[in-house]
Amino acid sequence: MSAIAAIDSVLATPPALNTLGPVAAAPQPAASFGDILSAGMQGVEGKLATADDMVRKFTLDPNVPIHQVTFALEQARLSVELAMQVRGRLLDGYRELMNMQL
Amino acid sequence: MSDAMAISRSGLDVEWQRLQVIAQNLANLNTSRTASGDPYRPMRVISGPDATFADALARKGAVSQPGPVRVLGVEAMPGGVRRVYDPSDPSAGADGFVNLPAIDQASEMTLMIRTSRSYEANLTALAIERQMFSSALNLGRSS
Repeated sequence: MSAIAAIDSVLATPPALNTLGPVAAAPQPAASFGDILSAGMQGVEGKLATADDMVRKFTLDPNVPIHQVTFALEQARLSVELAMQVRGRLLDGYRELMNMQL
Repeated sequence: MSDAMAISRSGLDVEWQRLQVIAQNLANLNTSRTASGDPYRPMRVISGPDATFADALARKGAVSQPGPVRVLGVEAMPGGVRRVYDPSDPSAGADGFVNLPAIDQASEMTLMIRTSRSYEANLTALAIERQMFSSALNLGRSS
């Protein structure tokens, strides 16, 4: 019965309206800032390792589609770029504070 | 970022496999005998959204998330055989006819062009997503 009610609610909302809703609010993270930062760096490292792996696989196995290799490389490049931006902003903020006239 | 990019990537994967199957069909245009003894059957890639009915039920009408595409299967196309009279062919039957697959070459070529265009479209979407990500990185940068 509950499954039928679920289908009813799907039918009630026009499909065009429920495809693009407001962005869901992110749950409040309980982790500290340092944890978030190191988790991000681990993600960058993982993407770099994946890209490395794909290049190695491509050289050994001719059946690997080339777009998977370039995709992995591009994603690794973008995540490194993001990490560098975060580092730059952090450093900017730190410098600003250090140069503050007391 | 990775969600939209992963969707485009799945589209690239599907079109890549579709092209492989079309190439196989074209290469077997004159294959009168496969391992089973029958003429070759033209194949088609069936693709669809990478979500199950259980997923849709579990969502219970909530905002549907855009999802990737995947290859659902490679199926033989329905269609008869093309019988060609050629008694000199070793695979000809007692009546001198050879059974060849009835592959429509024009429709294979059309599908190949469409596959190529779809692949390009996915690449373009990927490039735009990358561009959006890069410009979002420059948000708030004065220089």
